[in-house]
Amino acid sequence: MKTMPIKIARLLLTAALLTLAAGCGETGSPATDGTAVQEAGHDEKLGEEKGEHDEDGHADHDEEESSGAIKLTPQQLQSAAIEVAAAGPTTIRERLPLYGVVAPNAEHVLEITPRFPGVIRSVTKRVGDRVRQGEALAKVESNESLQIYTLTAPLSGVVTARNANPGEQTGERVLFTVADLSTVWVEVSLFPRDRSRVQVGQAVRVKSGETGQAADGKVVYVAPFGIASNQTLTARVLLDNTDGRWAPGLYVAVDVTLAETPVRVAVRNVALQTLDERTVVFTQGPEGFRPQPVEVGRSDNEATEILGGLKAGDRYVAGNSFILKAELGKGEAEHEH
Amino acid sequence: MIDALLRFSIARRWVVLFLVLVVAGAGIWSYQRLPIDAVPDITNVQVQINTSAPGYSPLEVEQRITYLVETAIAGLPAVEYTRSLSRYGLSQVTVVFADGTDIYFARNLINERLQQAKTQMPAGIEPGMGPIATGLGEIFLYSVDAKPGAKQADGQPWDATALRTLQDWVIRPQLRLVPGVTEVNTIGGYEKQFHVTPDPARLLAFGLTFDDVVAALENNNASVGAGYVEQNGEQYLIRSPGQVGDIAAVEQIIVTHRDGIPISIRDLADVGLGKQLRSGAATHDGKETVLGTAVMLIGENSRTVSAAVAARLAEVAKTLPEGVTAEPVYDRTVLVDKTIATVRNNLLEGAVLVVAVLLLMLGNVRAALITALVIPLSMLMLMTGMVATKVSANLMSLGALDFGLIVDGAVIIVENCILRLGERQHQMGRLLTLDERLNTVFNSTREVFTPSLVSVLVVILVNLPILALAGVEGKMFQPMAFAVIIALLAALALSLTFVPAAVALLLTGHIEEKENRIMRVARQAYTPVLDGALRFRVPILAGAVAFVILCGWLGSRLGSEFIPSLDEGDLAVQALRIPGTSLTQSLEMQFQLERALADVPEVKTFFSRVGTAEVATDPMPPSISDGYVMLHERKDWPDPDKTKAELALEIEERLEAVPGNAFEISQPIQLRFNELISGVRSDLGVKVYGDDLGQLLIAGNQIAEALNEVPGAEGVKVEQVEGLPVLAVEPNRAALYRYGLNVADVQDVLAAATGGEEAGQIFEGDQRFSLVVRLPEELRSDLDALERLAIPLPAGGYVPLAEVATLNLAPGPNQISRENGKRRLVVSANVRGRDLGGFVAEAQAKIDSEVRLPPGYWLTYGGTFEQLQSATERLTLLVPVTLVMIFALLLMTFGSARDAALVFSGVPLALTGGVIGLWLRGIPLSITAGVGFITLCGVSVLTGVVMVAAFRDRLAQGQTIDDAIREGAMLRLRPILMVALVAALGFLPMALNTSTGAEVQRPLATVVIGGIISSTILTLLVLPGLYRMAWRARPEPIPAAVATGESVA
Repeated sequence: MKTMPIKIARLLLTAALLTLAAGCGETGSPATDGTAVQEAGHDEKLGEEKGEHDEDGHADHDEEESSGAIKLTPQQLQSAAIEVAAAGPTTIRERLPLYGVVAPNAEHVLEITPRFPGVIRSVTKRVGDRVRQGEALAKVESNESLQIYTLTAPLSGVVTARNANPGEQTGERVLFTVADLSTVWVEVSLFPRDRSRVQVGQAVRVKSGETGQAADGKVVYVAPFGIASNQTLTARVLLDNTDGRWAPGLYVAVDVTLAETPVRVAVRNVALQTLDERTVVFTQGPEGFRPQPVEVGRSDNEATEILGGLKAGDRYVAGNSFILKAELGKGEAEHEH
Repeated sequence: MIDALLRFSIARRWVVLFLVLVVAGAGIWSYQRLPIDAVPDITNVQVQINTSAPGYSPLEVEQRITYLVETAIAGLPAVEYTRSLSRYGLSQVTVVFADGTDIYFARNLINERLQQAKTQMPAGIEPGMGPIATGLGEIFLYSVDAKPGAKQADGQPWDATALRTLQDWVIRPQLRLVPGVTEVNTIGGYEKQFHVTPDPARLLAFGLTFDDVVAALENNNASVGAGYVEQNGEQYLIRSPGQVGDIAAVEQIIVTHRDGIPISIRDLADVGLGKQLRSGAATHDGKETVLGTAVMLIGENSRTVSAAVAARLAEVAKTLPEGVTAEPVYDRTVLVDKTIATVRNNLLEGAVLVVAVLLLMLGNVRAALITALVIPLSMLMLMTGMVATKVSANLMSLGALDFGLIVDGAVIIVENCILRLGERQHQMGRLLTLDERLNTVFNSTREVFTPSLVSVLVVILVNLPILALAGVEGKMFQPMAFAVIIALLAALALSLTFVPAAVALLLTGHIEEKENRIMRVARQAYTPVLDGALRFRVPILAGAVAFVILCGWLGSRLGSEFIPSLDEGDLAVQALRIPGTSLTQSLEMQFQLERALADVPEVKTFFSRVGTAEVATDPMPPSISDGYVMLHERKDWPDPDKTKAELALEIEERLEAVPGNAFEISQPIQLRFNELISGVRSDLGVKVYGDDLGQLLIAGNQIAEALNEVPGAEGVKVEQVEGLPVLAVEPNRAALYRYGLNVADVQDVLAAATGGEEAGQIFEGDQRFSLVVRLPEELRSDLDALERLAIPLPAGGYVPLAEVATLNLAPGPNQISRENGKRRLVVSANVRGRDLGGFVAEAQAKIDSEVRLPPGYWLTYGGTFEQLQSATERLTLLVPVTLVMIFALLLMTFGSARDAALVFSGVPLALTGGVIGLWLRGIPLSITAGVGFITLCGVSVLTGVVMVAAFRDRLAQGQTIDDAIREGAMLRLRPILMVALVAALGFLPMALNTSTGAEVQRPLATVVIGGIISSTILTLLVLPGLYRMAWRARPEPIPAAVATGESVA
């Protein structure tokens, strides 16, 4: 925009001077031709001056880029809210969030069938009643011996099902289900990508979205075979439920702690920026901030391990590092239509 | 013909006066219809087609929308070219029509074609045309803010969403009705939306999907009209209102049943007011605001419309809730008023000075008033001419007018009439009879009419090359040349009709033929000087030539600029950040910029638009913001003498201190023009066209390399097309196959989850708000959560997104530019230190030999060099033609090449003063200064012709050459001095004024004043001597027939 109008202006001026030259040519004055020539020469000069100015502008910029360091005053740091921290050791907690369903601990669910078919004479427990091991559930009169015998709970727990009412013939059917819910299972579907990462023994945190309650457990089982329909393996988490908060059947969120690794150098995740398709951290040196390409390792939702590029104790930009990336790239920022 | 006209004017003087009155009336009528603006409109005839496609990435926008629009538009008549831009969520196609195309016709054509294109577009995508406006259209901006601590009726503080709702439903609808407003654009705040945010875990627990939620909402939120029934002679209309009205009602909508238990929205999701995914925001002094822009309809009067909007806004503001303000932050009226006031003051003061000079020099009040009347009359005729030709009144079109110049012709005629009437009275020793008076007036007008005619024609001729300019320069300067030409023609017509008629009518009494004291002193001073000039003619001539050379050299030392840019009184700061900067980040950085200027005492307020407004007249990505720095009145500055440039520099320094931004500082209107005209702004732009973006980039880089090797290349730049971080969720077809899923199943869930899916509207009276189903915000912004997004399986159950798709974060195309229906990439370069033509030729040769383009790719060359070439061609043709025509004109006047050349010789002498004037005031050369030089040509020809004609008359009467020169020069001293004084004094206010707009006129006025001083001195000193030298060889008198230019008549 700028240069062309100048050229137009120059053309107009030249036109005016040509007028002048022609006029004087008629009167035989050789001087004005000279003026016109000079004028033309001058125009180029103007162009040069203009260009030089531009050049200067660029030169400054190039300098900044070649050294690669960004200098900021304390005020600038403050107004841009740039936060500097030291890279250092931390523990990376790698987690895998999954969904699961609370299920009774199958090892502690017992179905009680009558030892001898007969007529139920009385029932003493209802669904939901707590029973202790050996406590009577019902009395049955055997069809063969006509003896009345007592069905007792084989373990302490809760009656979860009752298919028995006085006067009924028991047949061979299950009369009671007693479940010990002091521990429950959380059954988790492992999709192919996660299969290799989850192992028996890993710590797990189980959370319920609705109630906000959480509890810790452990992976106790990873199924050795998959389910064809949804391509998953089932993993099982054993969860303490003495207070009965985890009702079987509920959906819960499961956070598997895959590993807790102490690392020597780590930075906050917000410090990582991508520059020319490389991951960089902005470090603070004596001459300013510069982007430092780094090799990243493990990371959790707060920190990332740095395998190469940073030493422990290096000062790096932990907050608002994007400002520095923007500062570095601002020469490229443009507005095209 | 001229004689007949003159005779008629004098004989029918009352009729002429009446006609003049009618013309004046027409002028007043026109004045009220004259579009007034601050600067000329340099926008081309263009129509923007904006299509908003929420959620679409640049590639999808281009493929599915832009291409279709372009194809539909292709082949329309009068289209110069189309260009398009495909960006996130927005397609903009700009169709540029040939200058002079009727905009409504163009829009009609496009509308018709768009209907066809629409049928092929994805459902729900509606292309629309931008407002019917030009670059001058954004005349009024206001910001809607809440006072600190103000509360809404429900006790909530006024947040960005609430303010936006007020703007959308209360303020905007009222402002849109103001006549002359074509659009009220909004940016900032959030559109109010009702958000239903299902918890993915709960959806899973119930085995439900996003689609189920959307379907449930859609099925439970509609009112239905069900016809009517007739009952006992009456007709009952039937309707079933089923719309939900509030959040509680939404929560109760039932999604499904499980085991007889209804599952409602409440069991699955949170419902609340949410924020739209916006593409733009606005800031005001470091905090968020809602900004409204009133856009003026094309061809309206910006001052009127802007004032009407302001009045309406003031009314609307009264009705706003307590604590909410809607204040104008930018009002074009201010600038227009200031500019027009400047022009008016300059013209008025100039006119007063001119009248004063006339009074003093003519010593006759009536004569002075007649001459002065030419000023308003020609002005009114100019108004009529401007309205008829649709030229708007602005700084440029009125800026070059000089009343001195306008009255020059009349001055000469009136002066001569007084002279001759006085002589005649003196001869007769009594007052003249009517016939005698009329005859004298006729003769004396006839005597000097030729010089005025010639000078006007010369000015018109030298203006011709300006009229031939094309493009932006043409739009800028043509009105100026045009106005000058009309005004001069009007003045010429008046001096042929009105002036003699009025003189004949009014100069009845005794006329003092003796001159007043000023003229006597001048004459006494001039007599010895003239003698000296004649005696030492050779040294004086040599001195003059040397002076011309000196000034030529001086001229080469002057700086150069385009036009001195009009000071709009305020600044525009466009802040540019790297592509991919998020809106929130950009906003935060903009706050920092605004805070940085908070304590600059000259800054009144600083507001900005970040990203794209609702109507995408300027499709900026979120990384760019247009900031307006509004300044206090100059008198309120701590140092009122501080220049604007100093202030701009200071502001730039402060802004530079804020890291992360690049800037372009300009002015509001200037910025808008740049955005609209766009195109390649560097000297050379090499455009590569082709299909594949990657291939285009490779070719572009090769071209840049080649260009860099051409000597003179500077700032070689490849258009930035990459750099937007794109998270590509690429479905894994093998995995989909395993799970029995379609690609669309995955995409739909993803789109609904992150982009949101609209599930109807909620009505609150007249206002309506979208009901949107979307992931909760904390999950939406968490990439890990996105990986686990549950995709429902056909057989029940779910699979996480990451199992069936690859999530890939990589830089993608930032925007896709197309031109004339093909993807294109521009490599631009500027040229330094060598001629543009040669550079372009060498660059083309080098690119031809070094860059190998794949088949189907091609290059074109554009940039300002094109315009420069066409301008050069025009000017190289027109300038010689003009010169020849001027010379021919003089030749026709005098019938003597020598006399013509003598008059012509005054031109360089006149130019010297202009150069000196510029040099003394340190003003660079510019086109407005060039216009000043053009004016000078006219004035110097005028004085030259007056002088030479007087010499010739005397020679024709048989006087010796020395006597003829001496007497002629003495006789013409008064008109020459008067012409010079009125022209120079008429421009004096312009040269000294410092108010808004004066910077455009200052160079022009400086050149004219300087030039007239030199021209007058040199005409009085050099011309007599030169004439003596030229005619010394042939002392015999020249034939009377060709004296005083009978041939012209």
